[in-house]
Amino acid sequence: MATREAGKKMIMLKSPDGMEFEVEEAVAMESQTIRKMIEDDCADTAILIPNINSKILSRVIEYCNKHVPTTGATGAAASDTVAPAALAEDLKIWDAEFIKVNRATRFDLIQAASYLNIKGLLDLTSQTTIDTISDNSLEEIRSFLSTKNDYLPEEEQTIRRENQWAFQ
Amino acid sequence: MGGTCSVSKISSLAIHRRNLRSLVFIRVPKLLGLLPSGCPTKFLKEDIHGPPMEVAVVELPVLPQDVLMSIFAHLEIPDLMRASSVSSSWRSAYSSLRNLEQYQQRQTPCLLYTSESAGERVACLYSLLEKRSYKLTLPEPPIRSRYLIGSSNGWLVTADERSEMHILNPITCEQIALPSVITIAHVTPVFDETGALCKCIYSHDTAEHRSTTGPQLVDLGELRHYLRKKAFVFYDASAGGYIVVLIHNPDGQLSFAWLGDDKWTWLKPHCFFQDCLYKDGKLYVVTLLGEIHVFDLRGPVVTTKVIRGCADNYSCRTIYIVQAPCGDLMQVFRSQDVVDYDPRADNATHVHYTDRIKIFKVETMAEKVMEINSLMDHVLLVGLNQSLCLSAEEFPQLKANTVYIADDHEYLNYYKNNRRDIAAFDLTYNSSEELVSPQLWSNWPTPIWITPSLTKPHLTLDRQ
Repeated sequence: MATREAGKKMIMLKSPDGMEFEVEEAVAMESQTIRKMIEDDCADTAILIPNINSKILSRVIEYCNKHVPTTGATGAAASDTVAPAALAEDLKIWDAEFIKVNRATRFDLIQAASYLNIKGLLDLTSQTTIDTISDNSLEEIRSFLSTKNDYLPEEEQTIRRENQWAFQ
Repeated sequence: MGGTCSVSKISSLAIHRRNLRSLVFIRVPKLLGLLPSGCPTKFLKEDIHGPPMEVAVVELPVLPQDVLMSIFAHLEIPDLMRASSVSSSWRSAYSSLRNLEQYQQRQTPCLLYTSESAGERVACLYSLLEKRSYKLTLPEPPIRSRYLIGSSNGWLVTADERSEMHILNPITCEQIALPSVITIAHVTPVFDETGALCKCIYSHDTAEHRSTTGPQLVDLGELRHYLRKKAFVFYDASAGGYIVVLIHNPDGQLSFAWLGDDKWTWLKPHCFFQDCLYKDGKLYVVTLLGEIHVFDLRGPVVTTKVIRGCADNYSCRTIYIVQAPCGDLMQVFRSQDVVDYDPRADNATHVHYTDRIKIFKVETMAEKVMEINSLMDHVLLVGLNQSLCLSAEEFPQLKANTVYIADDHEYLNYYKNNRRDIAAFDLTYNSSEELVSPQLWSNWPTPIWITPSLTKPHLTLDRQ
């Protein structure tokens, strides 16, 4: 592991398509999965993230970078000057911009957030899916989320009957 | 990646859902790539069925089970039920979530009521979140023929036409019979010549004093009318079982039974109990005088300890005990009055309403209470349900510093058709606001707050 800038510990993350990302340890530790690896001394010179491509990984790092000062213990600089409420508002706006992505990217981000165990990112990326489920009919949910209805018609009838009340 | 590293699993997710909802929902169509930016942000359902605007032709990745589970864990139960019908993989994610009991535990409370038009076997759930009702067809006996005597942790407690009690989960329709009413200490069964139970003798005595009213012969159907006060279902994790607690007449006494027991156990000798809660394996019960008694029901010897004397001079008919999300205990005093009281008028025309609510924080260590003027960002739900205190931040559809009241006044048994005192009582202005207008519910059985749950009951089988 490389060390740079007044003791800030750096971590190298590698995507399976060969890209390398050098990030501050505090940023990488936004991921509970990576945190666990570092704490368990499993992280050597670089950590290979096996199932997240560089495009998605770079977006994940972008998210962690933005979120580390408010949640991490290290970066106190930003919150010293800006009121916490304003900072939270700023983050909300930033988050809303961040998830303006297409469905495929969003699904990739959900999976990455899940695998890396980054709670905030998982909540954020899952949100549109949750809203889609809450506010639409089955057909709409299927079409929005490209989920195939693999039930036989009679199976679907049975299942619908069981939960009839929820479809009123 | 090192093989020795454990990948910590996602288990619980913060419930940002509703905070983010307003922010994200208006963006849904845009995010999904269905509408070009600049379109009206109002989401029109017709757009979905409109001309093929779908841009994504590429096969989308399928969300794996654990990710689906973590998303489903944010859903309210009606949404979860609908999601489970989408496809077989969604159904299996739902099933796993249910089996592991990892679905969202913090559901928004609903008002459970019945109505003549919905039918004898139907209960309706009015969701405070969605401001709409769901109709549930419940198992026999018909819900409208029962007394609703309690609701806790998603379970209703009911008393049927023979005064026998059940716990019933209206969402899953699971129903479990409780020990027979004739095993309550104040009830003696009377059998007819064929050996069938026909009537009961109901005793007005308490352990502390003998009543001047002698034992009374009553019909089975009438018995619930005499006994009824309030019932609770608590889960004790360390004992691995459910306890049903009954506050019953005469004079608000306590009886309890573990689920699986064949009889009720009387908790002598005190009386005038009003409300209770279960915390860290102990039962906290509040009396009409504001005392709190603590019982440990897990050991063979039931212990009791009074942790507080009388509350400040405040005469009041109804007292509740409730636990705030931070763990603090509170006493809630509710007083009711009658609109334009006329002593000559028929009682059946009286309209009761809540005119005052006082809240006291219980200092367990110092054994005293302190009045608090505001719930801040909390809400209370009281009535025949287990009293609830929730954070308005977690449930933004609920109004902070408000007490959601349902009726539990003693007159209920006598005047089944009087208008019920059900409203949102704003503590800032000491004023009530109707939940919904016109009134959706029948006045009898009296509507009750319930928090929907999919939890399965665990019978206490190995308890000693």
